Amino acid sequence: MGLKKKFFQQALIKKYGNLIGLITLVIIVTILTRGTFFTQRNLVNVLRQVSVNGILAVGMTLVILIGGIDLSVGSVVALTGIIAAMSQSLGTIPAIILTLIAGAIIGGWNGFFVTKFKIPPFIITLGMMTIARGLCLVISKGQAISGLNDSFLDISESYISPPVAITAIVLGFLVLAFFTAMQKRKKRLNGQTSNSTIAGIMNILLIFAAAAFTIWLVSYRGLPMGALIFLVIAFAGMCVLRRTRFGRYVYAVGGNEEASRLSGINVKLVKFLVFTIMGVLAAVSGMVLAARLNAGVPTAGVMFELDAIASVVIGGTSLSGGYGSVGGSIIGAFIIGVLNNGMQLLHIPSFYQEIVKGIIIIGAVLMDRKKK
Amino acid sequence: MENEIILETKNIIKDFPGVRALDNVSFYLKEGEVLGLVGENGAGKSTLMKILSGAYPFPSYSGEIFWKGKKCEFSRPKDSEETGIAIIYQELNLIPKLTVAENIFLGREPTVGKTGIISWKRLFNQAKELLNLLNISIAPDENIENLSIGKQQMVEIAKALSYDARILILDEPTSALTDHEIESLFKMINSLRERGVSMVYISHKLDEIFEITDRVTVLRDGKTVGSKLTAELTRQELIAKMVGRDIKDMYPKQTVQINEAVLEVKDFFVNHPFLLGEKVVREVNFQARKGEVLGIYGLMGSGRSELLTAIFGSFPADSAGEVCIEGKRTDIRSTHQAIDYGLGLVTEDRKLFGLVLGMGVGENVTLSSLEKLSWYQIIRKQQEHEVIEKYTQSLKIKTPSSETTVGTLSGGNQQKVVIAKWLATDPKILLLDEPTRGVDVGAKVEIYQIINGLTKKGVAVVMVSSDLPEILGMSDRILVMHEGRMVKEFLKGESTQEKIMFYATGGNDGS
Repeated sequence: MGLKKKFFQQALIKKYGNLIGLITLVIIVTILTRGTFFTQRNLVNVLRQVSVNGILAVGMTLVILIGGIDLSVGSVVALTGIIAAMSQSLGTIPAIILTLIAGAIIGGWNGFFVTKFKIPPFIITLGMMTIARGLCLVISKGQAISGLNDSFLDISESYISPPVAITAIVLGFLVLAFFTAMQKRKKRLNGQTSNSTIAGIMNILLIFAAAAFTIWLVSYRGLPMGALIFLVIAFAGMCVLRRTRFGRYVYAVGGNEEASRLSGINVKLVKFLVFTIMGVLAAVSGMVLAARLNAGVPTAGVMFELDAIASVVIGGTSLSGGYGSVGGSIIGAFIIGVLNNGMQLLHIPSFYQEIVKGIIIIGAVLMDRKKK
Repeated sequence: MENEIILETKNIIKDFPGVRALDNVSFYLKEGEVLGLVGENGAGKSTLMKILSGAYPFPSYSGEIFWKGKKCEFSRPKDSEETGIAIIYQELNLIPKLTVAENIFLGREPTVGKTGIISWKRLFNQAKELLNLLNISIAPDENIENLSIGKQQMVEIAKALSYDARILILDEPTSALTDHEIESLFKMINSLRERGVSMVYISHKLDEIFEITDRVTVLRDGKTVGSKLTAELTRQELIAKMVGRDIKDMYPKQTVQINEAVLEVKDFFVNHPFLLGEKVVREVNFQARKGEVLGIYGLMGSGRSELLTAIFGSFPADSAGEVCIEGKRTDIRSTHQAIDYGLGLVTEDRKLFGLVLGMGVGENVTLSSLEKLSWYQIIRKQQEHEVIEKYTQSLKIKTPSSETTVGTLSGGNQQKVVIAKWLATDPKILLLDEPTRGVDVGAKVEIYQIINGLTKKGVAVVMVSSDLPEILGMSDRILVMHEGRMVKEFLKGESTQEKIMFYATGGNDGS
């Protein structure tokens, strides 16, 4: 019985380890800041800060799942921000479309070189990192480009009003609960062993806690548009990985490329698409950031690629590919976001912040190794 | 020429989980003798060599090794090297970007005093001396990558002799050589023999064995089955020793009505993946018919796996010739196309090429048939689940659940998952490459029953195997390959293990 309990605990840590880490971190930061951290106002702020990195982390999860890496996303965030800022005169919607296309082209370029010429992703995206940064400075002449349309600023600055947000959240969680229950039922009908009741109760409790927390959070001013975009992309990322053929192929290609090819999967197409999606998401992230800064800034997004990679790694995705999840990366993004915000609140000098972040990243990977 | 025995092994036993690779192997080697070591694929030759080289260290086997009458225990490769044993592997171990001299003296370059700075002059002079002594005409300052495979092999041999090796073990040394290079290799072997170097010559090519060796030792199923002077041995006798494994009553072959041909391969050639101008498959013609099991037998390097992968469109080199499926000429350039034409390929190495080990059993089963199980991109979970259930049950895959990571299953169950993946695509033609390798006996029989089920449904099965009893037990027709060619066709009941081995080792109707 004791053994079973221990096994159960291990399974629990494996499944919820990152989440437990995040909650612990939140508690520590809250205590250290004497509660300033855990206010609606600050948490909404954290959510907005996390959104930019979180969107990148979703794309980076796909890239790392196929055994790749994309070092260019930080530069692409800046470049697409500038493209969006410079095309404001076309109108907000055309500017958005143009920027997304630019992101797709850059990502597609990376994917093209990786698949066609078999250049390691590390090298080609390292090259793109410098090219995109150079392009930023060239087309902006080194100046921040401000004066964005008000409607464009809404991408980050507007709020979904509390009543609408709360209704949406309640509906969303109800739908989620419904589908989870349906799935359970189906599994039971198919005669599969369903999870133990304790795990089931844990799941339900978790869903309720998450619902209650988000309702409390948005009841302050509503849901920031940037955060909404992030959450939608995160949800879409999860669905793509879990429910679609493409998602299955991403795992397969990362797990064993040769076996995937021999199973009839178009490995090159999968890789190309993953890099293209990464480019598009970098463009989305770039626009959210530009809207928040009210400018396209050529020096923005420096080191964003590292935060995105760190989020994915902290979230438990294997750097050699094939294993991991978007959910983990999102928690990873929140861990980094909470760290950044908490250290700012504690007035820790930014130089030290970098050191702490580095240690946390190494620690997370060590923990992950130990689990395996 | 009563020479002293230099190396002798007594009762070597080596076990791997579930199999005994070597079972009481005893053999000896005299000074200045070239000993041919022959046996089927998997007879235990490489395992024996790995024990002699120290790659399988001392306590991992039982039995004794004697060097000039003295007992020795090799607990690491260096021990064996220092004693005087050198192995020239099929895959050469040279560094392409360095010169011949640097490769020969790698790790023990002559230095200027004790400074650690290489004395290039002495390095090249020493290399030159050594190469002259061995009559090898290669410049010591040439880069390895500029040399032909044959010359590289000579450098490897020179390197071994520079360590004062008294025994050279040559593992399939001619597999990548041209006729001319083989000739120079044999010259070298002869001159080394005169200098008293002993050699173990491992090869599948019986012509070479008869040409170059003094004595032959035969391994079969991990046992030494005999040793005889080459001069007193006939080809028939040698083949009889190599094969002759019991055909146990484990082949539940059911013959069904064989119908028209679904797969026709005409004048098929496949290029060597990196040797320009070389071919691994030459002028192959065959048909596979509905409801038939076509067995293809060939030894290592005969081009059997290359033939299957090239038909399937997944071999990394060009091929020429025609592949027709149901009478229509095809031009298969990707595995995806092959699947659309109704082909399936159960690959030789399931861990490298067959499975995504980190994914679940179910996900592996449906990997090749997801398109059919999806609405556009969305996977229909219910349908997928039904397919997974159908095949895990009908193939009796033993797994805790369909979500279990496939890498945790036993070899036999993993192999069944690979087969299930292809059955789920509903193939018309299933190519099997070593379908029962590394699989326990129980699972083997189950795989044979799966093959029976397929032929009953009218699928054409093409099975490549190194297991002679399996080929004889399960095939309706047998094709024998040697050096890329189809050298013989047998109908069911026409063949014996001896006959197949005769053709597979390069024998022809004239000899």
